[in-house]
Amino acid sequence: MGKTSYVRLKGSRQFRQRLLLSTLSSTPILVEDIRSDDTSPGLRPHEVSLLRLIEKVSDDCTVEINETGTKLRYKPGVLMGGKYLVHDCGLNRSMGYFLEPLILIGLFGKKPLSIRLKGITNDSKDPSVDTFRTTTLHMLKRFGVPLEGLELKIESRGAPPLGGGEVVLGVPIVPNSLTAAHWVDEGMVKSIRGVTFSTRVSPQIANRMIYAARGVFNRFIPDVHIFTDHRSGPAGGRSPGYGLSLVAETTSGCLISTDVAISYPKADETDVMEDSEEKPEMLPPEDVGVQAASMLLGEIEHGGVVDSTHQGLLFLLCALCPPDVSKIRVGKLTPYGIETLRNIRDFLGVKFVIKPDPTTNTVILKCVGCGLKNLSRKIA
Amino acid sequence: MTTDQEQAHKSHRSHKSGASSKKKKKNHGSSELDAKERNPKAFAFNSSVKAKRLQSRAAEKEQRRLHVPTIDRSTGELPPFIVVVQGPPKVGKSLLIKCLVKHYTKHNLSEVRGPITVVSGKQRRVQFLECPNDINGMIDAAKIADLALLLVDGSYGFEMETFEFLNILQIHGFPKVMGVLTHIDKFKDVKKLRKTKQRLKHRFWSEIKDGAKLFYLSGLVHGKYPKRETHNLARFISVMKTQPLSWRSSHPYILVDRFEDVTPPGRVHTNNKCDRNITLYGYLRGSNMKKGTKVHIAGVGDFASTGITSLADPCPLPSAAKKKGLRDKEKLFYAPMSGLGDLLYDKDAVYININDHLVQFSKVDEDTSASGKGNDRDVGVALVKTLQNTRYSIDEKLEQSFINLFGRKPPSASDDNVDANESRYSQRHVSILDREDDDRLDDKEVSDDDGKKELIAESESDDSDGDNNCTMDDDHEGDQQITAFSHDLKEEIEFHNGRFRRRVISSDYKYNGDLQDSEGDDMQELDDDDDDDDDLGDHMDVGSESSEGDEDLNSEDEGENVSKWKESLLAKTVSRQNGNLMQLVYGRNVTASTTTSQEAHDSSESDDSDEDFFMPKGERTKKLSDNLDVDIVDTEDSSKFNNIQLKDWSDEDLVKSIRDRFVTGDWSKAAQRGLGTEDVGDNETVFGDFEDLETGEVFKGTPEDNDKSSGSFRMGDEQEMEERRLKKLALRAKFDDDGSDLSDEEEHNKRKINQNQTDAGGYFDKLKEEIELRKQMNIAELNDLDEATRVEVEGFRIGTYLRLEIHGIPFEMFEYFDPRHPILVGGFALGEENVGYMQARLKRHRWHKKVLKTRDPIIISVGWRRYQTIPIYAIEDRNGRYRMLKYTPEHMHCLAMFWGPLAPPKTGILALQTLSNNQTGFRITATGAVQEFNHAAQIMKKVKLVGGPLKIFKKTALIKDMFTSDLEIAKFEGAAIRTVSGIRGQVKKAAKVELGNQPKKKGESVKEGIARCTFEDRILMSDIVFLRAWTRVEIPRFYNPVTTSLQPRDQTWKGMKTVAELRRDNNLPVPFNKDSVYKPIERKPRKFNSLVIPRKLQAALPFASKPKDKPARKRPSLESRRAVVMEPHERKVHALVQHLQQIKNEKMRKRKTKEQEKKKAYEAEKMKQEQLSKKRQREERKERYRREDKHKRTRRKVED
Repeated sequence: MGKTSYVRLKGSRQFRQRLLLSTLSSTPILVEDIRSDDTSPGLRPHEVSLLRLIEKVSDDCTVEINETGTKLRYKPGVLMGGKYLVHDCGLNRSMGYFLEPLILIGLFGKKPLSIRLKGITNDSKDPSVDTFRTTTLHMLKRFGVPLEGLELKIESRGAPPLGGGEVVLGVPIVPNSLTAAHWVDEGMVKSIRGVTFSTRVSPQIANRMIYAARGVFNRFIPDVHIFTDHRSGPAGGRSPGYGLSLVAETTSGCLISTDVAISYPKADETDVMEDSEEKPEMLPPEDVGVQAASMLLGEIEHGGVVDSTHQGLLFLLCALCPPDVSKIRVGKLTPYGIETLRNIRDFLGVKFVIKPDPTTNTVILKCVGCGLKNLSRKIA
Repeated sequence: MTTDQEQAHKSHRSHKSGASSKKKKKNHGSSELDAKERNPKAFAFNSSVKAKRLQSRAAEKEQRRLHVPTIDRSTGELPPFIVVVQGPPKVGKSLLIKCLVKHYTKHNLSEVRGPITVVSGKQRRVQFLECPNDINGMIDAAKIADLALLLVDGSYGFEMETFEFLNILQIHGFPKVMGVLTHIDKFKDVKKLRKTKQRLKHRFWSEIKDGAKLFYLSGLVHGKYPKRETHNLARFISVMKTQPLSWRSSHPYILVDRFEDVTPPGRVHTNNKCDRNITLYGYLRGSNMKKGTKVHIAGVGDFASTGITSLADPCPLPSAAKKKGLRDKEKLFYAPMSGLGDLLYDKDAVYININDHLVQFSKVDEDTSASGKGNDRDVGVALVKTLQNTRYSIDEKLEQSFINLFGRKPPSASDDNVDANESRYSQRHVSILDREDDDRLDDKEVSDDDGKKELIAESESDDSDGDNNCTMDDDHEGDQQITAFSHDLKEEIEFHNGRFRRRVISSDYKYNGDLQDSEGDDMQELDDDDDDDDDLGDHMDVGSESSEGDEDLNSEDEGENVSKWKESLLAKTVSRQNGNLMQLVYGRNVTASTTTSQEAHDSSESDDSDEDFFMPKGERTKKLSDNLDVDIVDTEDSSKFNNIQLKDWSDEDLVKSIRDRFVTGDWSKAAQRGLGTEDVGDNETVFGDFEDLETGEVFKGTPEDNDKSSGSFRMGDEQEMEERRLKKLALRAKFDDDGSDLSDEEEHNKRKINQNQTDAGGYFDKLKEEIELRKQMNIAELNDLDEATRVEVEGFRIGTYLRLEIHGIPFEMFEYFDPRHPILVGGFALGEENVGYMQARLKRHRWHKKVLKTRDPIIISVGWRRYQTIPIYAIEDRNGRYRMLKYTPEHMHCLAMFWGPLAPPKTGILALQTLSNNQTGFRITATGAVQEFNHAAQIMKKVKLVGGPLKIFKKTALIKDMFTSDLEIAKFEGAAIRTVSGIRGQVKKAAKVELGNQPKKKGESVKEGIARCTFEDRILMSDIVFLRAWTRVEIPRFYNPVTTSLQPRDQTWKGMKTVAELRRDNNLPVPFNKDSVYKPIERKPRKFNSLVIPRKLQAALPFASKPKDKPARKRPSLESRRAVVMEPHERKVHALVQHLQQIKNEKMRKRKTKEQEKKKAYEAEKMKQEQLSKKRQREERKERYRREDKHKRTRRKVED
C-alpha cells in the first residue's frame, strides 16, 4: 500500500504519447535519460509546458523532475476537464503538439473541457490548427463522439517566432466509452477544400497560394474550394507568416489533409533546429501552394482512411475502444504510427493485427480495444 | 392416419369436485359478471385527458420494462454454469449437491469439497459450489454465482444467513436465485405444513420478486432426497439462463477448481516459509483475459500472473470431445478437489490421483508431499518409492529438459537476444510435446528402471547455453544438476537441407519424427519461397531479419499443435506477410509482455555501446536516425511525417497512378480499392491445389479467388454482400436469443410488449440489432486470424480452461488452504489496481442495529476485493458543499469517502463491521455504490473561531483570542464575524501597534493574533465574537486488505479495531468533557444601577417626568410617632365588638367539627354499601357464567 510501481522508460522519445497513455491507463511512469547525452540535456520547454497542461486538466497528479531535467517521475491523477482554463503553450512548438493529446484527455475527463491555448497556431513541425479543426475533430465522429461539443475556435493566429495566437478548444466527455469503428472504405476523392492563413503579410499572398494549388488540382478534380483567412492587427499575432491547409474529402466521408506553413525562423535556431523548408527568406507563395497540393496528392496516393499525420491518433482511438474489433485502413505506416503502435502495446496491452493489402499498397489494421471507460465521470 | 383421426375419442370429463373445479367455477362466474361486459357504456372513455394519461402511463410502464441491451462478447463454448448452494449449517447443502451429481453422473460422491463440474446436457455443463458458512466465503461465492440455490430449513424458517446472502447477491450483481425448502418432513400436521409453506413463500417473494421460485424437497428416502424431486430440481437448473451482469462481463475471473504448489521442493526444504509459486486452474469467465493481466486472489491479494496458458478442457461437452478410442470414457464430471477425476493434465505434467486408502506404501508424511496430491505414478511400489526419493519433481526436470521437434538454424552468436527468445520457445516445445504424448511418456516411465523420466533429446553446442538461460530464468537449480541431467539426453545432429537439425530420438517416437521432419522440410521450402516475395507489401526494410522472424513464427505455430499444423498451413502462408509487418512493428519477440520495451532499449543500447563508444555524439544519433527500426531514444516528437519526397505531379504517369482515386476516375477500379480485404487471398492461388497427406483431403484454391482476378465488378459488391450476410446472421442470432433467452414469464411479458409495440419498439430493436451486428462482425473478423495471433490480439477466450502460474504467494495460502472455500481469481481492467479516494453513496442497512460512526473502520467488499478502510461520512448541502457527518443518517443515503483501491463508478459496495461467525444479528452494516473517484477529498466540516474584544473604539474593535498569529488573520481578512447578540461585522486586518496593540512592557514583542474588526454597531466588552468557517477534513489514507485465506479458516480475521472496541478491550471509560454536558440554564437577575438624572436636567423636566421617588427618611414621621388614647365609651364599644367576634368564632368552630364527624360517618356507611354491592355483583356474574357455560356445553353435546 502506498507504494506505486513505476513503469520505467528511457529517452525523450514519444514523450507526448507516453504521457498521454500513462494518463489514460493511469500507469505511473518513470522516464530516465532524457537527452542525457545531448548538449542541452533534459526536458525541453514545450515538454514542460505539456506537463503543466496535463497538471491543469487533471487532479492530484504528481510530476517530479530532477535538477537537470533528465529524469521524470509522473503519476497520473484523475482527469477533471473544466471550463475557462487557459494555457500558454510557449513558443517552442505550435499548438498542434498540445492539441493532439489534449483532445483524448478531454474525452475521458470528469467534465467537458474548454480551454484557451495561447501560442503558435501554425508551423511546419506540427499539424496546424486548421487541419485540426477540419480533419482531426471529424475523426472522432467515427468513434461515437458527438460533434456538438467538439469545437475549435481560432481567435487569433500566430506564426512561429513570436506566436501570439489564441484558440479555444472545446471537447465533450464520452459518457461511457468510445465505440469501435469499422473504417476501411477510403472511397474516392470527391472534393478538395482548404483554407489559407496569412498574418502580417500582404493579403494578396493568399490568392497566389490558392492559384498555384488549384493549378495542380485542375488535372484531377474540378471541385476545389480554398478559403482565405487573412488576419491583421491583433488577431494576426506578432510575426508574419502564411500557409495553406488542404483537405480532400472522399465519397465515404474520409478526410485527408496536409498543411504547409511558412514563416521566418527563429534567430537562434536557424542553424541547428530548422532544416526542412525553412530558409532565411520565405518560400514564395506559389511554391507553397504547389507544395501543399503535391503533398495532398501524395497522401491520396498512399491511400488509407486518414493521412499520415493522423495515423497515430487513429490507432490510439482504436485501442481505446471497448473490446470490440476495430478495423481500419491506412497508407504507409509512418515511423510515428509505428511508435504509437508500440506504445499502445506497452501501455494498454493492445496489439494490432497488421496486414498489408498488396493490391492497393495500403495496410489494414485490426485490433480489439482495451475497453477503457470514462472512469472519472461522476455517476449522478 | 385418416382412420386415426376418425376414431372417436372419449370426450374430456372435467372434474366436478375438488379445488380445480372450484377455481374454474369462480373464474367462470366472475367473467359472467364482468362489469365491463355487462355495462360497456359505463367504461367507455369519456375524458380525453384521462385516456391520454392512461396511455402515457402504459407507455411508461412498457419503457420501464426495457433495459439497455448489452453486448455479450462470449463466443464459442461457454464455461460451466456455476450453481452455488447456500444455506445455514445443517440444512442439507452437501446432500443436495451429492444428489444432483448422482442424478447427472450416476456416481456417488463421498464428500463435497471444492467446485464440482458436471456435464448436464449436450450443450451444458454445471459447476456446483457449496457455499461455506462464513461471511467471507459467502461474499466470494456470491461474486461468481450464476445461480444461487438458497437452502432453507422449512421446519425452522429463514435464518440470517439466507438474508445476508441475498443482500450480498444484490450488491454484487443479482444472479438468478432459487429457494429450496428442506426438512419439510418434520411437520406432522398437514395444515401447518401448508401454512408454513405459504408463509415462507410470501416472505421469500417479498425479498426477491413476486413469483420467485421456491422449491420444496420433502423428506429423505434412504438418506437421499427423492429421485423425482431431484430430477425436477435438475430440470429447473438446466433451464436457467444467465443475464450478463455488468461487473462480471467486463472483468475476467476464474473459479479455481484445482490448485497446485509448484515451488521447487528444494526451496521449500531449505525454508519452509518461503514464498510459493502456485498454479491455479479453472475456466475463464466474464471477459477475455490477456497475458500479463494483473489478478486479485480473493482473500490473498493482488499478483501479476507470471504465466497463463490454456489447457485442454478437462470436462468437455459431449459434443466437443472427440472420442479417441473405446477405452476413453466420456468424462461427465471433474472435481479434483473432491478427489474425483483420476488424471490431471498439466501444462507439462500428468498427475495420477490415487486415493490414500488405496495406496499403502506411500510415505504420507513427507515434506515433498506438500507439493500436491500425488505426483506418484501407479506403476509399482519400487518405482513409486524411487520417485519419492527423487529430489526434483518432474515439473522441474521437464523445465530443464530441452526437446525440439524441428530443427532450427543455429542462432547467430552475435545476437544474444535471439538466444533468449529461442530458449523461451524451446521451453514451450517441451511442454507441447508432453501434452501430446502423455500416454507415451507414461509408457516410457514404466520401462525405465531407475524411475527417472528419460527425455531423449539432443542439444547443440550453441543451445546448451540456451538451456542455461532457461534455468537461470527459473532460478531453480545450480549448474551441476543440468550437467548431470544432460547425460540422459541422446542427441543426433544432422546437417540437412543446408541447416542443422536436432532430432529427438526415442524408441516409439521415431517414426513420427521422421514423418514430421519431412513435412517440416516442405514447410521450409514453402518458407523459402515466401521469403522472396516478402517485400511485396512491406514499407520498411526488413532485411535479414525477415527470414529469422519467419522461422520463429513458424516454429511457434508448429509448437502449438503438432498434428494440426497442416490445417493452419494455408492460413499461415496467407498471414505470412502479416507476420512480417507485425514483427516489424512489435519486434521479434511476439510473445513479449507489456513492459519489455525497456528491456529492448537496454539491449539495443548495450549493443551499440561497444562500437559507438568512441564516436562523437552527434554522429551517433545521426547514424541511428537513418535506421528506423533501431530504437532512437531521443527524437523529435511530431505526428507530422515530414520526410515525404515531393513528387512532380505534372508527370503524366504519376497522374495516371492516382487517377482512380478521384471521382473523376474509373469508378469500378476505385470500388475494388475500397473493398474490405480480409481475403488477401490472391496469394492463395499461388499455391493452387494441394492434398493433405494425412486425411487425403484436397484443398483447392477457392474458385472465388480466381473470379476475383477476372471480374472486378463482382468484388465491388462483395462488401455489401458481406454486410448483408452479417446482418442476416445477426438477425438469426437475435431470433434465437428471443426464443430462448428469457424464462417463461418474461417471455410472456415480452410477447405482450411485442404485441403492442411492433412499431414503437423501433429504437430498442435498432439498438439490439446494432449490438448483434457488432457481435457478428467481431466474430467474423476474429475468425480470420490463426489461433496464436488471436490469443495475442484478444486474449484467452471465455470458456477456456486456464492454467495461471503465480509467483510469490505467501506460504500461508498453501498451508491453510481449504478446498471448501472457493478461490476466486479476478482480473482487473485498466487503472483498477491504483489506489485513491472513492466517493460512494452509502446507506446503513435497515437491519443493522446501530448507525455508523465516521472514522470507525469498516470492511468493504467492492469488485473482487475485500478490504478494511476508514470512511468519512458526508452529505451534500444545497450549495454543493459536502458536509461531514459524525454518524450516518438513520434512514437515508449519505456519502462515504474512503481511501482504497479504485473501483469504477456504479460498482456495488457492501460494508461489514465484523467477519466473525458467532455474532448474532445481521452482519451487513451498509450497502451502496461507488459514485466517483476524486483524488482531492473535499469534505468540509464547520468550525467556529471564538474571541472577545480587547478594546472597543466606535464601531471598530480589536478582537483577541480568535486567531493565534497575524498570518492566520491575513488568511481570514474579509471574513464575516458576528457577536452573540447578533451584531455583524468583518475581519479587517491584524491590529497595528498604534491602534492600541502595544507591548505591555518595554522589550516585549507586540502580541500577535489581534485582529481589527469592524461591526455594524458598537459592541460591548461582554460580547463574544465568533467567526463561522468551513475547514477541509482529511480522509485517512488507510486501507487494509482482508487476507482471510492466509490464516486458519476457523479464526476470525482481525483488522483495525474501532475506538469503541479498543475502549472495551482496555477498559477505558468514554472520555467525558464537562463542557458538553447540558446543564440547567440559570440566569442571574441583572442588577441595574439607578438612573442618575443631573440636577440641572431635573430642574428642566416637567413635573410628570420628574423622578418622584423620594429618599427614605432617617427618622420616622411625626404621624407614626404619636400615641392614641381612647374615651371610656369608646373603650366599651370596642370591648363589646371584640366579644361578639369571639362568640361568633367559637360557634363556627363547633359547627365545623360537627360537620366533619357527620361526613366521616357517611363515608364509612358508603364504603360498606359499596363493598356489599360489589360482592353481590361478583356473585351474580359468577352465576351467569356458570349458567352460560352449562348452556354451551349442553348445546355442543346436542350438536355432537
